[in-house]
Amino acid sequence: MLAGIVSSCINALEGFLVSVEVDISAGMPSFSLVGLPDQEVKEAKDRVLAAIRNSGFDVPLKKITVNLAPAEVKKAGAHFDLPIALGILSAGGQLSKEAAAKASEMVFIGSLGLNGKTHSCGGVLPMLISLKKGKRRKAVIPFDNMSEAAYAGVEAFGAVSLKQTVDMLEGRAEFPPCPVAAEEDFLPEVSAGDFSEVKGQALAKRALEIAAAGGHNVLLVGPPGTGKSMLAKRFAGILPPLTKEERLDILQIYSVCKLLGKNGKMPGRPFRDPHHTISNIALIGGGQTPRPGEVSLAHNGVLFLDEFAEFSRSSLEVLREPLETFKVTISRAKDSFTFPAKFTLIAAMNPCPCGYHGHNVKTCNCTPLQISRYKSKVSGPLLDRIDLTVNLNPVDYKDWNKKSEGETSAQIRERVIAAREMQKERFKNGATTANAFMTVSEIKEFCPLPPGGGEVLELAMKKLGLSARSLDKILKTARTIADLAGCKDIKKEHIIEVMQYRPFDRKGVSDI
Amino acid sequence: MALSYEEKLALIKINSFSFLRADWLGRLLEIFSSPCEILKQTPERLSEEGKISLETASKFLETASRLDAEAEFGKTDKVNGKIYFKGEEGYPEELLSIKEPPLVLYVRGVLPAENSANAAVVGTRKITPYGRRAASKLAEDLALAGVVLVSGLARGVDTAVHSAAVRNGKPTLALIGTGIGRCYPAENRELARGILDTGGAIISELPFDAPPLAQHFPRRNRLIAGLSKLVVVVEGEVKSGALITAKMALEQGIDVLAVPGPIDSPQSAGPNKLIKEGAGMVLSAADIIDCLPLNLKLGLNTKKLYNEEKPPLEELSERERSVVEAIGSGSVSTDDLALALNMPISELSGVLFSLEVSGVISCADGKYSRKKF
Repeated sequence: MLAGIVSSCINALEGFLVSVEVDISAGMPSFSLVGLPDQEVKEAKDRVLAAIRNSGFDVPLKKITVNLAPAEVKKAGAHFDLPIALGILSAGGQLSKEAAAKASEMVFIGSLGLNGKTHSCGGVLPMLISLKKGKRRKAVIPFDNMSEAAYAGVEAFGAVSLKQTVDMLEGRAEFPPCPVAAEEDFLPEVSAGDFSEVKGQALAKRALEIAAAGGHNVLLVGPPGTGKSMLAKRFAGILPPLTKEERLDILQIYSVCKLLGKNGKMPGRPFRDPHHTISNIALIGGGQTPRPGEVSLAHNGVLFLDEFAEFSRSSLEVLREPLETFKVTISRAKDSFTFPAKFTLIAAMNPCPCGYHGHNVKTCNCTPLQISRYKSKVSGPLLDRIDLTVNLNPVDYKDWNKKSEGETSAQIRERVIAAREMQKERFKNGATTANAFMTVSEIKEFCPLPPGGGEVLELAMKKLGLSARSLDKILKTARTIADLAGCKDIKKEHIIEVMQYRPFDRKGVSDI
Repeated sequence: MALSYEEKLALIKINSFSFLRADWLGRLLEIFSSPCEILKQTPERLSEEGKISLETASKFLETASRLDAEAEFGKTDKVNGKIYFKGEEGYPEELLSIKEPPLVLYVRGVLPAENSANAAVVGTRKITPYGRRAASKLAEDLALAGVVLVSGLARGVDTAVHSAAVRNGKPTLALIGTGIGRCYPAENRELARGILDTGGAIISELPFDAPPLAQHFPRRNRLIAGLSKLVVVVEGEVKSGALITAKMALEQGIDVLAVPGPIDSPQSAGPNKLIKEGAGMVLSAADIIDCLPLNLKLGLNTKKLYNEEKPPLEELSERERSVVEAIGSGSVSTDDLALALNMPISELSGVLFSLEVSGVISCADGKYSRKKF
């Protein structure tokens, strides 16, 4: 007998429907699985046969052939257990006609234990979303993955075991209701702390506000203990709330990486802070079966790289692609995979290897050569992709006691949201979402030079040695500053303020 | 005393070892009639005559024989340089009176005329904004007055001094710690070219291609002192090359002056200590010129120095002036300025920008400091 059950599989981040065909014919008892299965899929054989037996069904002592179609695409993941098991039951005549008919309209996803219980698996959300492509509406997924079902826009039912699945198909048990998305499922977006807890550092706070409002990348430079990490960790708290689309993108990536629902909550705006010893693959994504890296996990959120200059040169090099194109493409001989990676980069570094160059009290023991070498690690193309650079200075205890508390994250966030509203209106006809992502033609359209602005830029280039390629970035940043001020057009003072955040552009002054 | 070509080649070979402290070489040159003779001796003979260990003697012969002296001439010619020999015409006379005068001097560019007013301005590589300001200002005034500035083409103070001379089209002498075929640090290549273009010279006693080894630098400091009428120390820690130069100058009987600095700045500890021990205090270029011998002083254009006008703070707007006053003589971050002046950062940025482009202040590592006194 022949039976067909539909399942799904993940390619990069996108799901596609897979037809699981099972044929049971007379012959020596055997089990063969074809259709480019990965190691985890191949091992389904042992799991499935034991699960069938332990769920109270019979394993047919015949020749069993399973094919995963389309046959030319590699398939990975343990979630083929459930459809294969159902296929064997159906082909062996252990399902009633009605149940088999019902099963043929649905999609099955889930891995099985030897006792027949379902286990959670990765990528359920994008697989559910792929149902729509195959014009299917219903799916059975592991009960542990139910939290993802609410966001797919299809009807998904959670099953705890193979037995329960068969019971539901046979009509002996009810299909449990599909959950609905609720706000409180999400972790609050307010981050580790509040901006008012950081004393002083008004310039850095202002730079982060601009970065949040326009999606700009920031580099914080300063001796240890000046609050670089403290500020970065609070950055997510001043970002605007996620839109529905942004949230769905994030959920899909997290689903593939099996990071969803670990503590019963869905993630808020991502804040990723990988250690500087991270490998290139872990940072950018890849592996035998390509998986998203940290840059994609930070999609629509923040990638915080502490000790920026300590990252290996090659790690910093691979960052260039996502910073430029907002996505990562992993090319293989047969295939290429694309992961989204539109993040705000917050990088923090010391001014020199020992950390105390420019410190008020402590002396720096580094030689000038060491310092320039340290700085040159992040120079050039990478620095070109960073819009705002701020030098932080240590806060004296005296000042620390005295310095005003400053604004709370909520106050700053209000202005950020207002600025983002202006950008939404500006980019309503395009794909751009924030000022930092403007294309050259959009810069031309939305960032006209104000009267006197040309002279400011000319002076800056002549006297401060600003390079021509930083001009676009200056305009983008000035646009955000104008948005924060609620101005329709960029004004001269907005351009002047940007100069504060470009100390590295100045020719020949950083090499003390 | 005219040297034959062979003797010159031998001297170049011998010199390739002499930059290591080796006063016994002088003894050997007196004992043997010609430098060629020295190279023909056995190590045993040299060790006996020069009262040196056998090991040193054989090492010396080995090093000397390894150098291709004829190629040195070729390479030097190629860069329009010249090799001067001790005792020959053209060899700077001032150097004859120092301890261990170099046997051979490689020169690119033009050596200054006899009795030119040479003054060495030296200091640390780890220059502070204050040091940069002081070195540039002093060097510029001295160069414009006609003083030939002598320094070491290193990073920091040396660079500031040479650039001030080059900027004003005045000759300056760079005594470098590598061979003249090299430029160290590499970022000063442009500056080295400028020195040659403005009629200055790059001078070294080391073989043409000698690399920048640590032991070369203290040795060349004796030449900086030797070629100068006085030495000015701008910044330097207590243990630094600048202080070695000062010490060598004192040994050679040359005046040492120092630029005072903040008492808590490690970079000013050296000059402050010199002042405490009796070195002349430099508050302006006039103080330096005052210490030059009278006959040299008369040839200088010092009119401008003695009735110096202050940069017109009055031309600045009130807000700009308050910012400049708040910066004072230190280097101050934008944050601290905003706090001290109670000015929002967006407004402060505008003032800082206009002050920076008009050259009143400069920014390094996010801190602002005054560019001129």
